[in-house]
Amino acid sequence: MDFIFIIDQMPRLLPGLMLTIELSLLGFLIATIIGVPLGILRAYKIPFFLSWVIDFYVFVVRGTPILVQIYAAYFLLPIFGIKISPFWIGIVALSFNSAGYQIEIARAAILSMDDGQYEGAFALGLAKSYTLFFIILPQAVIRMLPPMANEMSNLIKASSVLSVITVFELHKAANAIISDSFKFLEMLFAQAVLYVAFVVAMTQLSIYLEKKIGANLQIKNLSQR
Amino acid sequence: MALDLAFMLQILPDMIAAFWLTIKISLITVVASVIAGILLTAIRMMGGKISRYSIIAFVEFTRGAPPLVHISIIYFLLPEFGIVFNEFWTGVIALSLIGAGYSAEIFRGAIDSIGSSQVDASKAIGLSRIQTFRLVLIPQALRLSLPPLTNELANVIKASSLLSVISVNELTKVANDLIFVHFVVIEVLIELTCLYLIIVGFLMFLSKYMEAKFKY
Repeated sequence: MDFIFIIDQMPRLLPGLMLTIELSLLGFLIATIIGVPLGILRAYKIPFFLSWVIDFYVFVVRGTPILVQIYAAYFLLPIFGIKISPFWIGIVALSFNSAGYQIEIARAAILSMDDGQYEGAFALGLAKSYTLFFIILPQAVIRMLPPMANEMSNLIKASSVLSVITVFELHKAANAIISDSFKFLEMLFAQAVLYVAFVVAMTQLSIYLEKKIGANLQIKNLSQR
Repeated sequence: MALDLAFMLQILPDMIAAFWLTIKISLITVVASVIAGILLTAIRMMGGKISRYSIIAFVEFTRGAPPLVHISIIYFLLPEFGIVFNEFWTGVIALSLIGAGYSAEIFRGAIDSIGSSQVDASKAIGLSRIQTFRLVLIPQALRLSLPPLTNELANVIKASSLLSVISVNELTKVANDLIFVHFVVIEVLIELTCLYLIIVGFLMFLSKYMEAKFKY
């Protein structure tokens, strides 16, 4: 394998990696802003039509491939008069996709809380909103972190599919180099290493956060006793 | 906005043909990846250090890199070594490898959660290591891993849409071609979405049914 070639091509690959990082972080952030509140809402009693809408949304997102969702965003947004660059179409598609999964993650985390937590809060005379924001959510956030890290790594990998709508992210950049140098092995190796590095970094971040938030909660609980 | 139902009917035969191809790819992939996953788990648990670490490396690689990269690796690299498949089998092999990596990890998690006392007990009643794996661990692990496994298999089926980039004529490729031939977008996308929802919905139904059936 020609390692010098890989190092030579880094100036062309790294902007692709930067774009992949931007796409996945921004998409994840928007999806969290949309998905987590909806998921929390879904875990509680809400009017049936609202829960039907959320359930149908989740079913469609989980039941169709990301490629179909990207094509849908690419072809449908212009029809409805929204003309934006492929980068932002990619953001729309990725956050549409990820929000569906994050709804499920948030809902499952809230539902996994023990009934005793609600009963204890009720016995102490805490208001319902206080119970949600200060008792249930802090504990649920810790339970959300591992599946969220999973979702993040899925989103990073999904961003590679944006190459089909000409977003110049890592996979597209590597493919462009392959098509003018015909060095498959080097470029496939380089992009695989970069993807794995980014995914591992994100997973480690989540493990660190989990430990840190968990430790904070522990101290608080002890001091309250 | 009115939907052109006549057009949707007109493209239906093409879509159904592609639908069958997607189902064929999915079925072969699902069976191959579950079997390969079980084999990998067995080797990982019973083999020596080298085989264990190479399997861990393989699992990390399948979980860490995007499916599009795996598909390009099989598509571009194998011909370099003189191994040539047609696009269909290239796609099936790539998807099966991804599925094998994920299901190996799921089986390992399930077996870890069963607990070492069962292994000790099987040793005490004189079962060999292969017997322990086949008679004690796998039946319980399969039951435990059913929900995450169906999730993962649904993901692999959805990943089959990526085979359109190596010109396998599956559902997404055909739908995309129809969009560019007829310049009709919404009808094709709705039909495409419905067909995918049928496959994945069926898989989810099957998993719920099997979960209820195999309960303790």
